[in-house]
Amino acid sequence: MGSSAIAKRRSNLVIHLILIAGAVIMVLPFVWMILTSFKTTTEATQIPIQLFPSKPSLRAYTDAIKQSSFLHYYANTLTSAFMKTLFPVIFSSMAAFAFARIRFPGRGLCFFLIISVMMVPNPVFYTPQYLMMSKLGLVNSVTALWIASLVSPFATFLLRQFFLGISKELEEAAVLDGCNPFQIFRHIMLPLVKSALVAVVIIQLQWSWNDLQWPLIINSSPEKLTLSAGLATLVSMFGTDYPVLMAGAFMAVVPMLVLFFVFQRRFIEGVAFSASKG
Amino acid sequence: MNSKSRYAWAYLMIAPTLIGTLAFWFWPAVYSIYLGFLKSENFGLVNHWVGWANYERLFKDDEFWRNLRNTMQYVVLFVPATIVLSTLFAVLLNAKIKGRSVYRVIYYLPQVTMAAAAAMVWVIIFAQDYGLLNSALGTHIAWISDKRFAMYALVIVGVWGAIGFNMLLILAGLQGIPRPLYEAAEIDGAVGFRRFRSITLPLLTPTLFFTSIVLVIGATQIFDSIYLIIGKTNVALPAVRSLVYAYYQNAFIYYDQNYGAVIVNVLLVINLILTGIQFLLQKKWVVYD
Repeated sequence: MGSSAIAKRRSNLVIHLILIAGAVIMVLPFVWMILTSFKTTTEATQIPIQLFPSKPSLRAYTDAIKQSSFLHYYANTLTSAFMKTLFPVIFSSMAAFAFARIRFPGRGLCFFLIISVMMVPNPVFYTPQYLMMSKLGLVNSVTALWIASLVSPFATFLLRQFFLGISKELEEAAVLDGCNPFQIFRHIMLPLVKSALVAVVIIQLQWSWNDLQWPLIINSSPEKLTLSAGLATLVSMFGTDYPVLMAGAFMAVVPMLVLFFVFQRRFIEGVAFSASKG
Repeated sequence: MNSKSRYAWAYLMIAPTLIGTLAFWFWPAVYSIYLGFLKSENFGLVNHWVGWANYERLFKDDEFWRNLRNTMQYVVLFVPATIVLSTLFAVLLNAKIKGRSVYRVIYYLPQVTMAAAAAMVWVIIFAQDYGLLNSALGTHIAWISDKRFAMYALVIVGVWGAIGFNMLLILAGLQGIPRPLYEAAEIDGAVGFRRFRSITLPLLTPTLFFTSIVLVIGATQIFDSIYLIIGKTNVALPAVRSLVYAYYQNAFIYYDQNYGAVIVNVLLVINLILTGIQFLLQKKWVVYD
C-alpha cells in the first residue's frame, strides 16, 4: 500500500468519526424518548440518572391513551393530514398545468395573486382566518383544521416549474388527436410529473402532521385537537410524569417515522427535487 | 380546438386554487393590514378607525423592542450555526465513503419528527436536576428557566432540527460542482482545506446564500419551540419571547386583535424585504440552462 492510500484511509477514518459523532447527537433524543417511556416515574427522575429501565413497562402508554384524548388526536391529525394532502395535490396540479401550458388572458395576474401569499409569514393570516372561522361557526371544529389548506400556492408554484420543463411535441400530437386540455393534462402530462407529485405529497404530509400554531389557535376542546397541540396539553396534565409525556411523544412521531423508513429515498430525493426547481 | 374553449378549460382548472387562495389566504393578508388601523371592541363587533395609533403604541412599547431584539438574536445565533454545521456534514458526505445513505437517513430524522414531540424530549434532556445534558457535562444549569441560557437551549433545538434538511440542500449544491475542477486543483496541489476554500466555497456561495435566506425567514417566525420548551409561566420568557409569540399572546390570550395585527404586520414588512433581497440576487446568480 502506498503512502497516499494510507493517508486516504486515515482521512476517511476522521470523516467517519465526525459523522458518527453527529449521528449520535441526531438520534440521541429518540433513544432517550423511547428509553424514558418504558421507565417508572421514579426511575425517570433519579439522580444519578439511570440510562435503562430496570423493568420495562407499558404503564406510561396505557396512561397516556386512557387519561387523555389520544385517539381523538390521532383521528383529527389523520383527517387533517389527508385533506391537506389530497386536495392540494389535485387542485395544484390542475392549476399548475394550466399556468404552464395554456396561454389565456389574465394568466400572469392570476399566477401572481396566488404565489404572492407565499411571501407572507403564516402568523399574518391567523387572526383574519380565525375571524372568518368564527363567522362560519367553525371555531373548535375538525373542519377548521384543514379547510383553508385545501389549496396550496407553494405546490402550485413547484408543480408549474415541472410542467414548464416538458417538451411541446407530446402535447401537439394529442391536440391533433382532438384531446381537450383536461385530457392532455390527465393522460399525458400528469404521468410525466409523477415524481414531483410524490414530493408534494411528502411535503404536505410532513407540514400538516407537524403543524402546531393554527390547531392551537383555532381549537381548544381536547377531542378537537391534533397530536401536536394535544402533546402541548399533556405537559400541563402530567407535569413531570416524564414516561407518560415520552410515551405520548413517541406515539405521535411513530406514523411519520414508519413512512420515512419505508419511503426514505423518496423523502430525501424530494428535498433535492424541490430545491432544484424552487 | 378554438381558443375560447381553451380559455374556458384553463379558467376551470385554475378556479379551485385561485378562489381558495383569494378567499383563505390573500384576503386574510389584506385584512390583517386593515385590522392594524382599527380598534375593535366586543370581540370585533364594534370597530373604530384609529389610523396609526396602534403602531405608535407599538413603537413606544419597550416590550416590542425587546421581542424584536430576541427574535434577531435567535436569527443571528441559529442561522450561522445551522449553515456551518450543515456545510461541514454535507462536505464530509460528499467524499467517497461507505455508508453515505445511512448517514443521510439518520441526519434527516429530526426533520420528520413533530416539533412538539421533539420539544418534549429536549425539555427532559435540559432538566436541571435529572437531565441528560447536565449529567453529561457535570453541570447544574437551569437551561430553560435561566434567562442567560434559555436562548441557547432554543438554538440547540433549532439547529438539531434544521441540519438534516439544509445538509441535503447543500449536498445537492456540492454535487453540482463539476468534478474536473477538483481534478485540476489536485494537480495544482490544492487539497483538503485549501481545495475547499478556493473551489468549493466560491461555487457553493449561491446555494449557501439561498439556504441562509430561507433559514432567516423561517427563524424570524420562531414560535413552536418557545411555546413548548419555555412555556408561558417561565421566568425566562421575557428573555426569549419572539415577535410571533408576542402576537399569539396579544391576539389570543389578551384578545387584542389589533395590537396582535400590528406586530405581525411589522414581521410582514421584514419578510418582504428579505424576499426582495433574495429575488434580486437570484436574478444575478442563477444561471438558467
